[in-house]
Amino acid sequence: MDDPVRLEILLNRFQAIVDEMAGVISRTAHTVFVKETQDYGSVLVSRSGEVFAAPRRYGVLMMIGMPMAGALERIGDDVGEGDIFISNDPDATRGMATHLSDVYLWAPIHVDGALLCWAWTFIHVSDIGGRVPGSIAPSSHEIIQEGLRIPPQKLYRGGVINQPLLDMILANCRTPEGNWGDMKACLAGLATAERRVRQLAGHYGREVIDITIDEALNYAEAQARRVIAHVPDGSYRYTDYIEADMVGLGLVRIHVTLTVAGDDMLLDFTGTAPQVRAALNIPTYNQDGHWMLITGLVNWMCTQAPAIAYNAGLVRPLRVTIPKGTILNPEPGAACGARYSTSHKVCDVTVGALAQAVPMELPATDSGQGSILLVSVPDLETGGTKVSVIQPIVGGSGGRPVADGVDGTMVILNFLKNIPTEIFENEMPEILIRHYGLREDSGGPGRYRGGTGIEIEIETSSHYTSITSRCMERYVFGPPGRLGGHMGATGYTRLNPGTPLERDLGKIDVLELGPGDVLRIGTQGGGGFGDPLERPEANVAVDVMNGVVHRTSAECHYGVVLGDDGVINAAATSDRRQAIRAQRGWQDPPLYGFGEARETWSALWTDDLEDAISEATQGLPLQLRQFVHQQLIEEIRKRLEGGEAVPPACVLDLLATLDVRWRR
Amino acid sequence: MPHNMDTTRTPCEDDWRLGVDIGGTFTDFQLMNTRSGEVVALKTPSTPDDPSLAVARGLEDITRRHGIDPSAIRYFAHGTTLAVNTLLERKGACTGVLMSRGFTDTLELRRLRLSKANDFFVPRPVPLVPRRLVRPVDERLKSDGEVITPLRREDVEEQVRALLEEGVETIAVCFLHAYRNPHHEQMARQWITESFPQVYVTASTDVWPQQREYERALVSVINAYVGGRMEAYFTTLEKRTRDLAMPCRVFSTKSNGGVMTAATAARRPVETLLSGPASGVIGARHVASSIGDDHVVTLDMGGTSVDVSIIQGAIGQATDNTIGDIPVIMPAVDVSAVGAGGGSIAWTDSEGVLKVGPRSAGARPGPACYGRGGTQPTVTDAYLVAGIIAEDSLLDGTMVLEPALADAAIDRLAAVIGRTRSETADAILQVTTANIYAQLLPLTARRGIDTTGFSMLAYGAAGPTQAFMLARELDMRRIIVPPAPGTLCALGCLVADFRADFVQSVWRDLDTLSDQDLGDTYAGLETRARAWMEEQDAGVADVHVLRSADLCHIGQSYEINVPFPDVASLSTEDLNRWFLERYQKVYGYHDPHAPVRMLEARLQIVGVTPSPPVFSRPAGDGGRARGVRRVHEAGDVVEAHVWRREDLRQGETYPGPLVIEQYDTTTWVPPGFVAAIDDFGNLIGERA
Repeated sequence: MDDPVRLEILLNRFQAIVDEMAGVISRTAHTVFVKETQDYGSVLVSRSGEVFAAPRRYGVLMMIGMPMAGALERIGDDVGEGDIFISNDPDATRGMATHLSDVYLWAPIHVDGALLCWAWTFIHVSDIGGRVPGSIAPSSHEIIQEGLRIPPQKLYRGGVINQPLLDMILANCRTPEGNWGDMKACLAGLATAERRVRQLAGHYGREVIDITIDEALNYAEAQARRVIAHVPDGSYRYTDYIEADMVGLGLVRIHVTLTVAGDDMLLDFTGTAPQVRAALNIPTYNQDGHWMLITGLVNWMCTQAPAIAYNAGLVRPLRVTIPKGTILNPEPGAACGARYSTSHKVCDVTVGALAQAVPMELPATDSGQGSILLVSVPDLETGGTKVSVIQPIVGGSGGRPVADGVDGTMVILNFLKNIPTEIFENEMPEILIRHYGLREDSGGPGRYRGGTGIEIEIETSSHYTSITSRCMERYVFGPPGRLGGHMGATGYTRLNPGTPLERDLGKIDVLELGPGDVLRIGTQGGGGFGDPLERPEANVAVDVMNGVVHRTSAECHYGVVLGDDGVINAAATSDRRQAIRAQRGWQDPPLYGFGEARETWSALWTDDLEDAISEATQGLPLQLRQFVHQQLIEEIRKRLEGGEAVPPACVLDLLATLDVRWRR
Repeated sequence: MPHNMDTTRTPCEDDWRLGVDIGGTFTDFQLMNTRSGEVVALKTPSTPDDPSLAVARGLEDITRRHGIDPSAIRYFAHGTTLAVNTLLERKGACTGVLMSRGFTDTLELRRLRLSKANDFFVPRPVPLVPRRLVRPVDERLKSDGEVITPLRREDVEEQVRALLEEGVETIAVCFLHAYRNPHHEQMARQWITESFPQVYVTASTDVWPQQREYERALVSVINAYVGGRMEAYFTTLEKRTRDLAMPCRVFSTKSNGGVMTAATAARRPVETLLSGPASGVIGARHVASSIGDDHVVTLDMGGTSVDVSIIQGAIGQATDNTIGDIPVIMPAVDVSAVGAGGGSIAWTDSEGVLKVGPRSAGARPGPACYGRGGTQPTVTDAYLVAGIIAEDSLLDGTMVLEPALADAAIDRLAAVIGRTRSETADAILQVTTANIYAQLLPLTARRGIDTTGFSMLAYGAAGPTQAFMLARELDMRRIIVPPAPGTLCALGCLVADFRADFVQSVWRDLDTLSDQDLGDTYAGLETRARAWMEEQDAGVADVHVLRSADLCHIGQSYEINVPFPDVASLSTEDLNRWFLERYQKVYGYHDPHAPVRMLEARLQIVGVTPSPPVFSRPAGDGGRARGVRRVHEAGDVVEAHVWRREDLRQGETYPGPLVIEQYDTTTWVPPGFVAAIDDFGNLIGERA
């Protein structure tokens, strides 16, 4: 390193520039995505396509792992002052964009007539065309259904706008003014970046800035490697499932083998399910350190080293291997609009795997659900439909090695804000919120309790009330606990609870309700961390007093017996704890508390069996693979449920018999 | 609360106004002579266990030093951190809450969002009131205020009785949609007062009837939580001032930059939470406007924080303030923290890169050079080692620093980064400047301003020390250091106007709102405002009201506050037009056909405190520099003249490098800047 003081000063100046860009964008843009969900980004990018400065407080925070090199390669050498590029195309940018709703705008910054670096922005536009308003539907099965694709090209050439291109883009969106307003916000952000970088280069000299960009990246890399280096070498495997029964796809396997060797980390997703005919694919193009794969790992680094430099250097040690044609590396043209829940599951499996190596540095699993609950009712005045967001439906965070999980929200995806009932009911008086609170007794028991989920109950007074929700998750397998901690509660959806008409609905996609119908949703509690018998009795008593843990749970999970007055019965507690210890049959706590449903599943669907299925179908042509994979799974299910053993070695034979059947 | 103490408001030869700002370490005083404009400043150690004791001691000190008799003090306004500290330290009353059934977890759920985005170990927010002390009441209103489930007295009393059994001392009441129809809340409060007269009760609509149940509930909960302590404090303070024969009532500063009577403050302590930083900005604006400057960035740098605020003609107001992780939606002067102050600790990370903060040595143990056991190098130690501050120049030499301890602390760091001691000190200051710059610039971007057209007004113990280095990076045109920068908050107390904010949530589409409704809404607000002003009995001649509305396009999730002129009859058509004009200004375009919704009606009443004549200081006799010091800064070593501030002569220009020492701070004027003293005793720095 040339000069560690100058580096720190310039890191601050780079930070100021990207934060200022974000400030300009957030002030100038004005659609809901920007204001409420912070779905925009602003970064500075090196000539080679690495993000060397990124905001830590504003907008999307994971941009450091966005691979820009593909987009740069695509635009080639025709780059001049005053040019501004645009794209939203995952395939043409090789995984920079990951769904069409994110529109990227970027500009070269020239100093003394030569390219010094890039300023880069994106914004989630309200609509980019396609088959549904808002462009995203889980059931879309090819990208063409999800809107307009814009391969990388110049929106401005030498400061002059390409009006026909802009007109063409806006003509294909349902919200042209809003989109153009948002794009102008990005343009203002780019202009700010250019002005500030030039000022900085004027002050310190072009050469110094150029060197420092490299140093900043190397510096972050060195810090990341130092964090990784303390992890014991080894390979750590973990599996979890996307619950894609919503779109008729059953459980979709996400599997990782995380290998740590010195200060390198390899994420091998071999064994992950084939791509799906639904909008759940993530077009990562197998890019190392891709942002949709590394959320959990980067959060871990930032937790371990809070002052760590925040740029693409952090993801340099994170290499990935993903077989082509899987849900995490689909062939071009795959639908990807609703890829968020897949990304969250990837976060869960990487954290789950790493926990084998450094369990005391990671939380137990959180609720894994970042669903947005929408309602629409007929608008009697206009003859149309009124649509409104009821609430983000998220659950509790996992217990942590230092503290309980957070109640009612996750630690990842924690920027979501809820909506005041008073605002919602004014917006949509047809719907009454009858209850909105913590879901009692839902947090996974543990030395550190998992955060509770939430419960919401709504009643409609309107016919043709329609409820939609995307990304509901963990209704089948609850969030696993860690190191003796138990699983958090699974989610539920109930229609007309407590009445003769009560129905358990499971995950919902679209649900029609009529006047007087009551819908109750409970979200998942986070997994517990550590042995619940080691939770201080007083903490359990306080939880019981506050109603977040029920008395029966206190007794059967925590072994804490309370008198009617809430006071701990010490003798009974000691007996109860001893009895539970004797009964449970382990000395060292199991690393994962998967819960019964998952354990029953995994006893049949072993990792070896699933690996064999994956391997058997991997070589098939794309169009056949999804189909064959489904058929094979179905065939094996029949046999397993019939009590028949299916050794992994037989999978290929089984496939051959199926093959014969199709060809007939 | 005694109300009848201002019986002797007769003119008199010697007529002083007193402002006092009670901080964690020091209690600051400024007195201003209302005839001559003469100003006297003083600092005295705070007495946190009994905060008004320091006020009494300071007054005795002022009598002794300056010969000002307490009986000559005709106006006394003060700011205290008691309410905010009670809240931050969670030392308030045991509070119980009554909420509508189904919503008792409102305080637990908050608005969900957490304070840090990529930290697995982000702290769990802890609600002010534990879950078991929030009890449901069977009552429910619809969003239009219509009763679905009526309130029953037995239910309220039963729940209160249960809370009292749990040891609750104060009670907050917040029911859903009460901003639309306060009847249930008011009945509940009345019944509680009748049946349990010993209990301090706050209903949310009494304090701030704004839509959004979490934030409104918090306002009433905070009020109940800190109310008891504040009431006791004001009683003691009033007794002490009476004992000193001060013939005036006690006024308290407010978060919105105004003042109110102690009686009002005891009832609405939630309005004092952010009054400390607000007073500083009021003082800064007073100083800036006296010299005709209305584009100012204020920089308040103390031992534990760096706060900035932007003045563009008017002082900015914000409604998204937070205290710790608790949001407060009542309007407050817009002040943002941009760093950790002179106590920030310098360190090196695993790669040997120099960092400053965010950890701070705070007031205890403080910087190494304070000699209170601190061993880590801080920004203050760097000022000392770099030669910018001297060991014995502060507080008339009563606060002596220990250079050897600063040297030792910095040397340890110097060894790591491979630089000399003074180079290391210089490096710490450069990184400090870069840190503040990186936090300040995005703030200005969010407010749409360019700092190059602004002056920087520096105060707080370290503000003037750091200001020039920061202004140089921000390319700002001038730096203003007021005569007594260490006690500017106290000045703000004594020049503040009477000021109160009122809100009424409307939430109606403009095309469904009649001009009559609109007029009635503002008339209702004005009636409440006039009653407030009456209660203050402030004796101010000039009272005016400022109306504004929060408006948005339907379907958009954020609003714009649109102030509008005082017109005889208000129409929704006007409101629509003003909104679009404002929208155009903010976003650069507008859609005249998009329907508009009115969210909040707002009104602020101001009773203008008469401005004292501006005091022209007698020209200094033009002493000489006290010496020359080597200062290491910005990579250079320079020989700087050292002056006592009182020796600088008006009208003369002093070129940097220059160190200017005074009672409560040291100003560093680097090379490339010149300093001058204006007619009012302000130190004005500009580029040479």
